[in-house]
Amino acid sequence: MSLIVAAFGFGLVSMSIIAISAVGFTMQFGITNMINLAYGQVMIASAYAAYAVNNAGVSIWLALPVAAVFGALFSFLLNRLVYAPFQRKGTNLIGMVIISLAVSLVIANVMLPIVGYYSVSYHQNPGTTYHLGSIAVTGEQLAIIGVAVVVMLAIHALLRLTRLGKAMRATAANPTLARNCGIPTARVIDLAWLITGALCGIAGAVAGMNSDSFSVASGSEFLIPIIAASILGGAGSPYGAMIGAVIIGEMTEISAAIISPEYKQVVAFAVLVLVMVLRPQGLLAKRGALAAAG
Amino acid sequence: MLASHHRVGKGAGVLFATLSIGLAACGSPTTGGGSPSSSPLLIGVIAPFTGADAALGPAYFAACLPAARAINNAGGVMGHMVSCQEFDTRGEPADAVPAAQQMVASHSNLMAVVGCTSDEAASVAPILNQAHIPMFCMTGQSEFNKTTLTYFHRLVPPDEFDAFAMVGSALDHFNYKKVALVFGNDIGSQAFVGPAMTALQHLGATVTINQAIALGQPSYRTEVTAMLATHPDVIFTEALGPTDATYMAEVKQLNNGVMLPFMGTSATIDPVWFKAVTGAVGVQTVVDKFTAVDLGVSFSGPGYDEFKTNLDAVASQFPAAPTYSQRGATLHLYDGIMQAALAMDETKSTDPTVYNPVIRDVGNGVAGSTTVNTYAAGVAAIKNGQKVRWVGAGGPTNYNQYNNSQQGYILVRYDASGNEITIGTLTQAQTAAIIAAGGG
Repeated sequence: MSLIVAAFGFGLVSMSIIAISAVGFTMQFGITNMINLAYGQVMIASAYAAYAVNNAGVSIWLALPVAAVFGALFSFLLNRLVYAPFQRKGTNLIGMVIISLAVSLVIANVMLPIVGYYSVSYHQNPGTTYHLGSIAVTGEQLAIIGVAVVVMLAIHALLRLTRLGKAMRATAANPTLARNCGIPTARVIDLAWLITGALCGIAGAVAGMNSDSFSVASGSEFLIPIIAASILGGAGSPYGAMIGAVIIGEMTEISAAIISPEYKQVVAFAVLVLVMVLRPQGLLAKRGALAAAG
Repeated sequence: MLASHHRVGKGAGVLFATLSIGLAACGSPTTGGGSPSSSPLLIGVIAPFTGADAALGPAYFAACLPAARAINNAGGVMGHMVSCQEFDTRGEPADAVPAAQQMVASHSNLMAVVGCTSDEAASVAPILNQAHIPMFCMTGQSEFNKTTLTYFHRLVPPDEFDAFAMVGSALDHFNYKKVALVFGNDIGSQAFVGPAMTALQHLGATVTINQAIALGQPSYRTEVTAMLATHPDVIFTEALGPTDATYMAEVKQLNNGVMLPFMGTSATIDPVWFKAVTGAVGVQTVVDKFTAVDLGVSFSGPGYDEFKTNLDAVASQFPAAPTYSQRGATLHLYDGIMQAALAMDETKSTDPTVYNPVIRDVGNGVAGSTTVNTYAAGVAAIKNGQKVRWVGAGGPTNYNQYNNSQQGYILVRYDASGNEITIGTLTQAQTAAIIAAGGG
């Protein structure tokens, strides 16, 4: 029983990281109509950007904004230079998914000669370990949870309390109507890529911190729970992605304690399949952040 | 909902859930020095260059380049220059099959293929055998112990022998009695588990826990907590990529900063593994707490010196090459390529059906054969009408009837620079007892 409780504690950290990344991933889809399978690779590229700064002697926490900026600019350019031209030509959703898959492979293979195939680790101090019963969490992990909470609140405030948030919701709901109402949808989409790219960058850096070691190949591994959480919560729904992150994060850890660590991802996906059967639109599809715009 | 107008609903979910990635990437041929020829020969390096086992491919590529350089500097194989080319399997049989088929279909000048790890050997080896291409594989799977594939060669013992060597070292050298098995859930790593468990149980030791961990996960804290609760004396491990680094860092963290002794297979004697794990747990922790078994290689002698010279020289083509100077697999695959080249010289043929049977003779030697340690010396001896025996970087070869060769084990640790230091050897008697206990 104590192992399950401990696993629950570790799940808090996992779900925090998945939440940051899944919210960015699902917003990208919701606002820009782009299922970006290169998301995991942009995460890793951002993690390496933070590593470069950290390796120069800067604290990883100070390098975190570098990862965010890198992720934002990378994602913005990716859309402007690759995705948007294809979308303007009318490439359908499946075509765009394949393009993003190709982009992911290109990024990975371009990174290999630059950063190498070595796994790297941040110079970091996990800090004091705090115990609450069987739960053991380091200071660094508490900070990661804190970052996730701040990011989630910021996204909530953005979507609910700002003009940009309203414009994003309007663009997501009906871009043509939004444009006719005077909303500069092209700029909104640019900003959406910047914001979700920043989330992607932050997620990459904190995932690198949490895992203690990462490599170019980690991108595809990181992407799997992100996609699972996004679908589980309802594709395009940021709040759904948050709930999906909680479920996937906890399920993977607790299943490792109960069954076998070999099957932790299998269990998470079994839950996903079950939800897809019972509620194909996802858990919060009808109650997403922007369902009732305005 | 953000996506309300896109009308993807079920479609997006299904699309998300069913997408999978598969790509067999190809590199361009890389010569190992010398001058170009009108009919060059190719050595295919078929291995994982991307994916969780991406560290394996470069170790094998590092075997090919110095071999090609040595051959080309001696005038090539009967005048044919030799080059190396990577064929990426991603460590997945599903990707390895098209990679192998593409390699065979696109290159009629393949003189040999090296690599084929446990990840893909079972699917790749039959393809190569059917195409009559001699292969030197780094698979440890026991299904190749008595293989009927006549073009298959293996210069390393099966994984179960690695496992036996780990058991022997743990029991005889360190007197460990309680062992936790933490291996990746990939085919290659899992090949160690069964033999290790059997041997440990028969020799009176206890397997406290057997964890097959999913590679590349962001965290293993739950698994580590479960493992620590069993209080092992030592952890046996092989989980490549960043996996061992993540796992061991969390062992140290959750064990109040104290690392448990951990012992690796020969695959963990690798610069990529060293850099990953030392980055995560610190160099001194690895130096103090880590040991591994490795193939019985002395890293000395004229054959090794020739290999080392050529390995250092190809750094301009592959900067990481010199870091593989003590990677057993790199040495052995280099030797395999040399044996194939000399077999071609002996038979004066580029037809694999002609020179393949002679590879074993070049490796084992025949009555009256001359021992050679460099390709140039081998060519000179053959021109003088002599048969040759290749004793190269990895020492003597002892092929059995199934083209399997092995030389025993050493127990090693790393120094702070990542160099291998021998701290013990397993005697033949110890090895035999463990193999018998493990059912090998």
